[in-house]
Amino acid sequence: MDTFRCENMRKTFDGTRALANFSLEFPASGITAIVGPNGAGKTTLFNVLTGFVRLDQGRHFLGHRETTRLPPHEIARLGVARTFQDLRLILRVPVLDNVLMACPNQHGERLLTALLRFSVAGEEARNRTVAMRLLRFVGLDCRAFELTGELSYGQQKLLTLACCLATGAPILLFDEPVTGVHPEMAARILSLLQELRAAGKLILFIEHDISAVRQVADFVVVMDQGNIIAQGLPGEILERSEIVEAYLA
Amino acid sequence: MLLQLLLNGIIAGAAYALVAVSFGIIYSTARFFHFAHGAVYVAAPYCAYVFIVWAGMSPLFALPVAMVIAASLGAALEFVVYRPLRRRGASPLILLLASLGLLIFLQNLISLAFGDQARTLRQGDVVEGIRLLGARVTPVQTVIVLCSVLSCALVWVFLHHTQMGRIVRAVGNDSELARMVGMDSDRALLVTFFVGSGLAGMAGILVSYDTDMRPTMGLQALLIAVVAVIIGGTGSVEGSFLGALLIGLVQNLVVWKISTQWQDAITFLLLLLFLLLRPQGLLGRASKGVAV
Amino acid sequence: MLYFLHILTLVCIYTILAVSLDLLAGHTGILSVAQAAFYGVGAYTSALLAVRVGCTFLESALAGVFAASVVSFMVSLPSLRLHDDYFVIATFAFQIIIFSFFNNSMPLTNGPLGIPGIPQPAIGGWTVRTHMQFFIFAAVIAALAYAVVSRLATSPFGRVLHAIREDEVFIRSLGKDTLRFKVVAFAVSAALAAFAGSLYAHYITYIDPTSFTVTESILVISMVIIGGPASRWGPVIGATILVITPEVLRFVGLPNSVAASLRQVIYGALLVIMMTFRPRGLVGRYGFMRR
Repeated sequence: MDTFRCENMRKTFDGTRALANFSLEFPASGITAIVGPNGAGKTTLFNVLTGFVRLDQGRHFLGHRETTRLPPHEIARLGVARTFQDLRLILRVPVLDNVLMACPNQHGERLLTALLRFSVAGEEARNRTVAMRLLRFVGLDCRAFELTGELSYGQQKLLTLACCLATGAPILLFDEPVTGVHPEMAARILSLLQELRAAGKLILFIEHDISAVRQVADFVVVMDQGNIIAQGLPGEILERSEIVEAYLA
Repeated sequence: MLLQLLLNGIIAGAAYALVAVSFGIIYSTARFFHFAHGAVYVAAPYCAYVFIVWAGMSPLFALPVAMVIAASLGAALEFVVYRPLRRRGASPLILLLASLGLLIFLQNLISLAFGDQARTLRQGDVVEGIRLLGARVTPVQTVIVLCSVLSCALVWVFLHHTQMGRIVRAVGNDSELARMVGMDSDRALLVTFFVGSGLAGMAGILVSYDTDMRPTMGLQALLIAVVAVIIGGTGSVEGSFLGALLIGLVQNLVVWKISTQWQDAITFLLLLLFLLLRPQGLLGRASKGVAV
Repeated sequence: MLYFLHILTLVCIYTILAVSLDLLAGHTGILSVAQAAFYGVGAYTSALLAVRVGCTFLESALAGVFAASVVSFMVSLPSLRLHDDYFVIATFAFQIIIFSFFNNSMPLTNGPLGIPGIPQPAIGGWTVRTHMQFFIFAAVIAALAYAVVSRLATSPFGRVLHAIREDEVFIRSLGKDTLRFKVVAFAVSAALAAFAGSLYAHYITYIDPTSFTVTESILVISMVIIGGPASRWGPVIGATILVITPEVLRFVGLPNSVAASLRQVIYGALLVIMMTFRPRGLVGRYGFMRR
């Protein structure tokens, strides 16, 4: 499976170095966790890989294909879906609509088709079935027609997961999937991640919660100030107390 | 001929600069396009008109009073309209629209009260103007240039060397942070609107002495101010001044080669070029907010 | 009675304009001050083709729509990457430049003198002549314009437009090319405004640049805002209120210039009041607030 490869990536914001000569080839399967203190550059890494931030120097690839200058929607179409630290969703529409919107290749989104409505109804019906199935997967199907803004924080996180899945992307990037949710919800989200891994998805996630990382990660990358401090199996990395104390406390 | 045009350009630029710099400091601090600045610009000369032409007062008294009225009007707009909107989380777009509404409202009130015809604050005959290196400059025009340079310099000094000026700049940079550090951003905004509107009033009055005044002059002046601030670079007094000068020069030199009717189009073409190619303007810092 | 029909016809024309801007501003969240420019492009293209080349209404109106779409690409493609309020300034600039073109290109547009003698529309063998016929004609076209925007708003295309308005970053991360959607919405908006322009030109049979100024654009914006952006009836209500109010004033006997200024005083005030107390307009659900 195609995976991300980073080559000497450098990015500075207003004098703060977010990425400093960052080079890494991510594992091509399983769940990889990216950890580190605040300001380590983790979210910047995601923003760069998904095309929302341009590098000052360096390149990145998805498989063999260079993605350095691609805009976000093109990278997404290559099979990458992500969530955001500040939980982006359309709050003023029903839950189902958010998932529907994530379905790719909708003919109804073209101008003429939207006006003439040729076979749009059929496409919508098919997408609805898929969307409801995904909502059932994350456990939100009973709330499908409620306004997204009325969901709890944890439920909104589940919804963002469903939206990612609706795109059909094989590569999923989750920015702090269990931060700020209570333990039951966190456990549910983590078990969903494990199911997704079993289904063959490649997952990268950023987290502060080290127990979560211990539970599901196959590979860990520790970052600080834009550099990779350590990378390897969670069993090794997370046992090294100097790392845990210095960067993960 | 060329010299006269250059001189005209400088004079026009100086007049524009007063409006531009005052608009600029308001934009830098309040972070939205305060279109109603044009209303303040046109209100001052009409107030002065009432005092001088209708009530027969001396300009020495009437002019400063008119400027203070303009300044107070600007501050009142901030206090009565913008502050409540800001408290309610209004985006810059909403503030822009409200401001536009205010401009239209006030401009047309003046139109209703005074009619649309051109008037002037000049009393007596048209002065021919002194000869300067082969071109002509009237006393009023000299006053315009002097007032403009002096005022803009004073604004710069105010912003960089006074306590209140520092607070104003801090609020413009990051109003949240400023407030957290204990700065009174509300008061800073009021001061900015007061000073800015006073300067705009001065500009309106000066132009009304030099040429004439109409209710629509506010929108005209404002659009040029916007262009000047964007070209010069938002957040920079020197930039707005330069931008205004540039526009004045371009407009008058255009007359030399192309006719006056295309002045507006060329000014705005200039704006577009800057917006699209160099959004931070001539002297602005790389702005965070211009391009997505 | 004839006067009454005339007002209603104007309401129809302005409804088309308001609805066209609503697609862009209300549904997609992109405010433009250039609507009058596209209105004018449609009117002038249509008028020139009808008067100088002898085209029928449909031919000239379609040409106007086409011309406006092309111009809209020239405006939107470079400008859409600018942030909200800077984009508004850019559309201001385009509006003024295009108006300048109408006002100053003597050989082509006849400048301030305008273009007289525009023939009344003829479809098939039937010419639209009487006030009643015109009203029905305009009402049908307004209904069509309304239907187009309504259809788009309730389609998956519209769903993406709404999402762009609410959170463009999110929708881009889902793989949607938001620039394409915005450019298309802009073009449709311009095309509808241009059609309104053709209708106007063939109705009044005379056009001049003063109908296509910045002030006119702001009037259309006011209609959308006062009625309520992205709502079913908002633009229609806004158009009705803002067309009828000055006529009422004229009825009361006020001279023309006073009525014109008073009308602007009223809609300026309404704009401020709406923004302050009810940004979602009279019947709207969405008001330009950002979270």
